[in-house]
Amino acid sequence: MSIYPHPSDGSRSWPSMDRRTLLRGLGGAALLPAIGGPLTGCSDSGSASGELTFVYFGDADLQKDYDKLFTKFRQDHPDITLKAQGIAAKSWADFANAVSTRLAGGQPLDVVQIATEGQRIFASKGLLEPLDDYIKANQDEVDAYYEDTPPQLKQWLEQYASPDGKTYYLPGGYNTMAMYVDGKIFDKAGLEVPQEWTWDEFAEIGRQIKAKTGAFLTGVGSGYFTDVMPWLLTNGASTFDEEWATATYDSPQAVEALTFVRSLVTDGLAPKPGGTFDAPTAMAQGKLAGFGAGRWGTNDLARLKALDGVQLVKWPKQATDGSPVGWDAWPILKGAKNKDAAWTLIRFLISEEFGDTITTGGGAAVPARTSDATGEAFSENAPEHTELLHDLLEVATPIPSPDRGAECQKAIEEAWLQGVSGTKPPQQALTEANKKLQGYL
Amino acid sequence: MTATVTTGAVSVPGGPAGRTRGRGGFGGGPAGGRRAALPGWLFLSPALLFFLTFVLGPFIAAMALSLFSWDLLTPPEFVGLQNFRALGTDGLLLRALGNTFIFAFASVVTHLVGGLLLALAVNRGINKVLSYFVRTALFFPFLISWAAVALLWKYVLDPTFGIFTYYLAKIGITAPGWFTDPNWALPSIIGIDFWHTIGYTFLIMLAGLQTVPRELSEAALVDGAGRFRALLHVTLPLMTPTLFFASVITFIGAFQIFDPVQIITGGGPNDSTVTAVMYLYQTGFQAFQVGYASTIALVVFAVIMLVTLLQFWGSRRWVHYG
Repeated sequence: MSIYPHPSDGSRSWPSMDRRTLLRGLGGAALLPAIGGPLTGCSDSGSASGELTFVYFGDADLQKDYDKLFTKFRQDHPDITLKAQGIAAKSWADFANAVSTRLAGGQPLDVVQIATEGQRIFASKGLLEPLDDYIKANQDEVDAYYEDTPPQLKQWLEQYASPDGKTYYLPGGYNTMAMYVDGKIFDKAGLEVPQEWTWDEFAEIGRQIKAKTGAFLTGVGSGYFTDVMPWLLTNGASTFDEEWATATYDSPQAVEALTFVRSLVTDGLAPKPGGTFDAPTAMAQGKLAGFGAGRWGTNDLARLKALDGVQLVKWPKQATDGSPVGWDAWPILKGAKNKDAAWTLIRFLISEEFGDTITTGGGAAVPARTSDATGEAFSENAPEHTELLHDLLEVATPIPSPDRGAECQKAIEEAWLQGVSGTKPPQQALTEANKKLQGYL
Repeated sequence: MTATVTTGAVSVPGGPAGRTRGRGGFGGGPAGGRRAALPGWLFLSPALLFFLTFVLGPFIAAMALSLFSWDLLTPPEFVGLQNFRALGTDGLLLRALGNTFIFAFASVVTHLVGGLLLALAVNRGINKVLSYFVRTALFFPFLISWAAVALLWKYVLDPTFGIFTYYLAKIGITAPGWFTDPNWALPSIIGIDFWHTIGYTFLIMLAGLQTVPRELSEAALVDGAGRFRALLHVTLPLMTPTLFFASVITFIGAFQIFDPVQIITGGGPNDSTVTAVMYLYQTGFQAFQVGYASTIALVVFAVIMLVTLLQFWGSRRWVHYG
């Protein structure tokens, strides 16, 4: 299932949009005619049977959409009783926590949608069933899937979510961060939309747009994935080192990034943080020239019928190109009572037909299969240069997700918010946060 | 609850055993007493089951868990009193308790004063239609969910687009970061809580006010007391049971504040709005330190119980039940 929106906390500029995006994304997917097509992925697995509980990120409204999405699965596997349950959460880290709580409460979960933020801890706590034997049994099928997915996803799963060398996940959809830019506002200001820009050029363009149209350049928030990481990575910084073993949130490059973002607020190029500013709505109203998002930004703008003239460009950079990346992955829980049926479901999730379905259905992430992510269906009813979300994988960095992810995320976002809102100097905010982060490792 | 109180034909548990003796078919002997108590227990059972399952059970579980280290995902490990010792060095817990006390104190004071003043205003001779309108208007916010209230106020206090910001700018005042400035975040939450829940306190006060015999105030006025003195020396003393009740339940409710803080600020900025229950939640379900979170839960329980007992003890000096 290709859904990797990054709902963030209340401190983000447009927190409520991501949840809606998720709902819409799957809602759209549920309406797809492709669901009626043949599913080669699970065509030869009719032997599995019994009850199967599948948990995904989403609220109760999503239930009926998922049920529709799995109609074909149920038709092909009448002996498997699939129970799809949504868990409403504020962030992926909170979702992982909610799943953990359910497991502790003794709920029998079989397959769980786990994003990058929870993958390492679930694997390292011995909660997952190794998939190697299952993969071996359907090697051709899995190989075909991997041939059609970005190699980085498999590599990152091996690096971060395989503490003992075993395979615990098959990857799903992913999201990177690009800048959605409204060409109409640029036209109005007599500017061309650049395909690459530095931070200084970005700010200068913002000043011209502000002077000539009155529109804000961009929104700033404190979402870990959406607001913090893109600025850090485009200055060669990050919250943690590559092994997620040392906190690096107070590096000079990180401080420089926060100082720059703060300047966007003080220069009047971005609204003050701490409110309910909704970036896609502001863009639709001609009050905002750009905002950062992954695939879910397309769905937001489509809902507002505001895709006209919008295009995707790389995040402005200071030192280097960069983007965070996060991805879904599918494991079988160790406590699953019906592991064969769970594997049958995972084969369905990685099947070509399912990928096509979710792509044309408006999923809120970039589909895992490259053929889908670079296909026409993905670019239809989407901003120009939508393929950038896929291309950014080349320069992307997995969102650092240590075991105490939720606490780390809170410390990171709070420090960023203090910095951009001016209640603490960037250096002080990040130094204090870095100390906390190191303590959590 | 080992005995029954018999009222007419209905027997309920909870009263002195002696009162059931010699009462026809209900109290002929031990067996008859048990039979007589059965309907009472049946009526009581839903509440009793609820209490055992959702109050007493979790309380006992929390006491047990406080002796363990447990991350939810792996088996718990017995650590004795280690979690209790950790309380003494936990600076964030102190901060959370401090914030919670400030919030609870402000909440009790503003609700008692505000609720009483509003009740006095409405109770006085204003037009009946207007009176009902005001009552409804004041109580209405209480019916709105905290999530909706939080979102509403985030719009109102938005630092760039908020209506408050707009009108403050009109009179030359730059609005602070209501939810991003550590000096303003907690007062903002206190203000929002007041708006949301004052209707409830107001109704309690109004009900209490309407139990005060009007003739006593009128007699005081006839004796030349003046309206303020009549309020101070006649109405308020007779209102003290209501004031006491309101202060107890407001404190208990306020000390468990969680929803608005979680939704609006998440405890930030700089932990300036982190409250005891929020810290408990974060410790248990974000940090996965369930044993320590249980210890914090016991601390919260102990604080609420202690303050409530103090309130009851103090009430003997100022509450008049006559």
